[in-house]
Amino acid sequence: MRVIWWLATVVAVGLVGIVLSEQRALDPLHDLSLTTTAPVEDGIRDIASPLNDIYEGVRDRGGLVRENRRLQEELEALKQQLAEQQDAQQRIRELEDALQVKQSRPEDQLLVANVIAQEPSGLKRAIAIDRGQDDGIDEGMVVLSRNGTLVGTVSLAYRDFAWVRLITDPESAVNAEVELQGPQPQPPASPQAVAPATTAPATPTPSVTEPGSVPQEPGSQPARGVAEGDLRDGLVLDLLPTEAGIAQGNLVLTSGLGGNYPPALLIGSVKDVDERPQSPFKTATLEPAADLSSLDTVLILVSFRPARLSGR
Amino acid sequence: MKYLLAFAVAWFLAVLNVSAMPYVQVLHVTPDVVLIFAACWTMVRGRDEGLIVVPIAALLRDLTTSDPLGTSLLAMAPLIPLAAVVRLRAMATDFLPTVALVAAGSFFYGVISTLVLAATGQTTPWDDAFLRVVLPAALVNSLFTPIVYLPVHWFSPGRKAWLVGSTRYTSA
Repeated sequence: MRVIWWLATVVAVGLVGIVLSEQRALDPLHDLSLTTTAPVEDGIRDIASPLNDIYEGVRDRGGLVRENRRLQEELEALKQQLAEQQDAQQRIRELEDALQVKQSRPEDQLLVANVIAQEPSGLKRAIAIDRGQDDGIDEGMVVLSRNGTLVGTVSLAYRDFAWVRLITDPESAVNAEVELQGPQPQPPASPQAVAPATTAPATPTPSVTEPGSVPQEPGSQPARGVAEGDLRDGLVLDLLPTEAGIAQGNLVLTSGLGGNYPPALLIGSVKDVDERPQSPFKTATLEPAADLSSLDTVLILVSFRPARLSGR
Repeated sequence: MKYLLAFAVAWFLAVLNVSAMPYVQVLHVTPDVVLIFAACWTMVRGRDEGLIVVPIAALLRDLTTSDPLGTSLLAMAPLIPLAAVVRLRAMATDFLPTVALVAAGSFFYGVISTLVLAATGQTTPWDDAFLRVVLPAALVNSLFTPIVYLPVHWFSPGRKAWLVGSTRYTSA
């Protein structure tokens, strides 16, 4: 009997809490909690980050295909370089990187924020940052990596902190376009589906440093779709026209349609194309340009006001 | 005093859950040390203490994540009745029942969290959530149970032999 009463109380309190949270009545409590925990979380992340490098190295050994192995080696080399730096030097370099991005996009106002926490639930992909409404952060604002590639949008803004919904979250949808500059697949036999021809050489290497300056073949039309977060594949480009000649390695940028994201922000590159004969659209799995699993510093694009209504 | 300690440990684990644990990905899911802690405490120290510690852990977890406050409270509530069910079968150890409780509790946690997400208007891919998150999380949390179970067991008076339980219900 006591357990039944306990369960009834817990369910009632839980439901009331959820309703109050949805109405944003408990935001001060969340903000206070993050204020209390942020220094500890930041410290633990600093300690855990190098350990993660070791863990990743052990976990991924032996399971890589040839191209992934090459990329992994590059990643390992970069991580090794990072591990050798002192914390202070690392922070300075991150801020220098941020400054470079700012110089490359002089028209944009960017705000640097530190990542203090990451959503542990597998059902959501989100990070917490140490900037909030007092810093001019608003829900819906676009968040970039320190290299200027798209990371996500602000989904919850408290006074001093905010949660950022990553582009791999199932709730995320970004209007995107594929730059058709890479190798094109063989045209299908069907006369209705003809891929636009391009003459670019094979295997392009995506550049993640200059999001606004991706070269495009003259005359090639970008294929438009929607980049959606996916629990299985991470990031999927859906609603692509069947006649679009998408190939592995093609760069995917924001199209700017809908007004929620500025155009020409690099989202990632095409990893795999899923083409079904009966499907009205083509789908592609994307590799995000930013390493979303180990973000330390992000940039918030405060000068861009998204068209979407603020809300969760 | 014991609840103060439980609060402190739960707070630390909640912080650990959002700071260091996301780096530990097994089967693409992160072990939920707060849930494991609540289950271990309930199993090792008894239901009466579980009635207090489970809500504390749940609220602290919600305060450190982006979930609406109350989500974990609902999702962890099955731990208490599940603990009673697990204890119905007499065993000479607390460890295996705790692993079973963590697995079952993680499953219910995932299902209820997904329901709350759906109820609050968030996109809920049910099949992927079930196959990619809920089931793997039950398995991964079970695998990580010893890491939390051993300290909780060692700290509990009269339970120094970690495989020998003393709070089980026995059937006649």
